[in-house]
Amino acid sequence: MNNRLILNSLRFIGLLFLQVLVIDNIRLGLYIHPHIYVLFIFLLPFNIPNWQLLFAGFFMGLAVDLFNGTPGLNAAACVFMAFIRPLVINGMMRRNDINENDEPSLNTMGTSRFIVYSLLLLLAHNLILFMLEAFSFKLIGVVFLQTLLSVFSSLLLIFIILLLFKKTKKKLL
Amino acid sequence: MYNLLIFLKKYNNILLFLILEVLCIIMLMNNLPYQKRKLTNVGNAISGKLFKTKTNFTNYFSLKEENQLIVEHNALLMSHLYKINTDTSELMNSQSFDFNFIPANVINNSINNVNNYLLIDKGRKNGIKKDMGVICENGVVGKVVNVTENYASVISMLHPYTIISARFTDNQHIANVSWDNLDYRFGTVNDIPLHLVLEKGDTLVTSGFSNIYPAGIMIGTIEEMIESKSKDFSTAKIRFSTNFSALRHVFVIENLNQTEIDSLTLTQR
Repeated sequence: MNNRLILNSLRFIGLLFLQVLVIDNIRLGLYIHPHIYVLFIFLLPFNIPNWQLLFAGFFMGLAVDLFNGTPGLNAAACVFMAFIRPLVINGMMRRNDINENDEPSLNTMGTSRFIVYSLLLLLAHNLILFMLEAFSFKLIGVVFLQTLLSVFSSLLLIFIILLLFKKTKKKLL
Repeated sequence: MYNLLIFLKKYNNILLFLILEVLCIIMLMNNLPYQKRKLTNVGNAISGKLFKTKTNFTNYFSLKEENQLIVEHNALLMSHLYKINTDTSELMNSQSFDFNFIPANVINNSINNVNNYLLIDKGRKNGIKKDMGVICENGVVGKVVNVTENYASVISMLHPYTIISARFTDNQHIANVSWDNLDYRFGTVNDIPLHLVLEKGDTLVTSGFSNIYPAGIMIGTIEEMIESKSKDFSTAKIRFSTNFSALRHVFVIENLNQTEIDSLTLTQR
C-alpha cells in the first residue's frame, strides 16, 4: 500500500513536469494539444475508492492548471474523466477478470481493451476541456476538430510512454 | 433524517463529483476575464520559479538570433536618435517622455489556446502594476493582468477580451483590433467606416486613446478585407507585426501621468 502511494506520487510529479515543461512547449498548431498527464488517472489501481479517484483527478488537473494559469479548466475535465472511469471499466471488464489490486495497464487489460479504455477516457476529458475553454457554440466545429486530433496525438504519446516503462517480465503484443 | 443519510450514502459519489465540478467551474468563471484570485498568485509564484529555470536553459539555444535582433534594434534606435538630433520639432511632439519602458523576459507563453497568457519575470518589485501595457520591438503584445512580487502575467493580444484602439497611418481613421480565435498570426479589425478604401499592406498603429499604450506603436498590416454582414461598417483581417510564437524580450510601459489621467476621468463621471 505504502509502496503504491510512493509510486503514484512519483507518477504525479513526473507526468506533471513532463506535461508543463515538455509537451506544452511543443507547438503543433491550434488543433493539436496532447494531454499526457491523464495517464496518472488511467493507471490508478482498480480497487481505489471512488472518492479518492475523484480527488486524485481534481488535484492532478489543478496542478496542471496552476502552471497554465487557467484554474479549474483541466481540473473540471479531469474530475469528469475520473467520474466516468469506473463506469467505463465496469462496462468493459467482467468482475472476475480483474485482480482488484492490479492497476489498469497493457498487461492486465490486454492491448486492445486498454486502447478502447484510454480512447473513451481521453475523449471525455478533451471534449469537456475544449468546450469549457471555448465556452461558446460559435466555435463548436473548432472544438470537435481539436478534440479529435488531440485525442489521437495524446493516445500516441501515452502509448510511447507506456512502452518505454513497460515491465519486461511478461511478453506481450 | 435517516432517509437523508441513506440518500447521501447511496449517491455520495455523484454528489462529490458535482461538488468538485461546480468548484472547478466557479474557479474558471472567476478567472475568465482577468486572473485575480489568490490561487493564481500562489500558482504564479511557484510556476514562475520553475519556468524561469527552464528559460535559463532554453535561452542558450537562441543566442545567435537574439544577438541579430539586438543589433537590428540598435540600428533602429540609432536612426531614431539621428532623426531627433536633426529635427528638434519631433522631439517637442514626442509623447515618449510621458512613458517609461521596463524591459522584461518572457518565461512562459501560450499561443494555441483560446485564452492566451504570457508570464514575465518582472513584478511588483520592479514597479510593474496591473493594467500596464506590454510591447515588444515589433509591436503590441498585451496588457498586465496580475502581478506578484517577482512575476507578472500578461493577457496577450490573442485573447477574446483584448480589444485595442487603433489608427490607420494613411488616413488617421480609428478602428478596433481584436483577435479572431483561430490563428496566432492574424487579428481582426472591426468598425472600419464603409467609405474607407483599404489595400493590403496598410499599416495600423495604436491610437494612444487608452493611455495604456503610447500612440504610434505598430499593431499590424491589413491582410485582406472580410465580407461583413453589417451594412454600416466593414471588417478586415490583419497580420500582427508581433511574432507571438517567438516572444522573448518585452517592454512593460509605465504611463507616468496615469494617476493624473485617472483622477480626471473620475471627476468626469
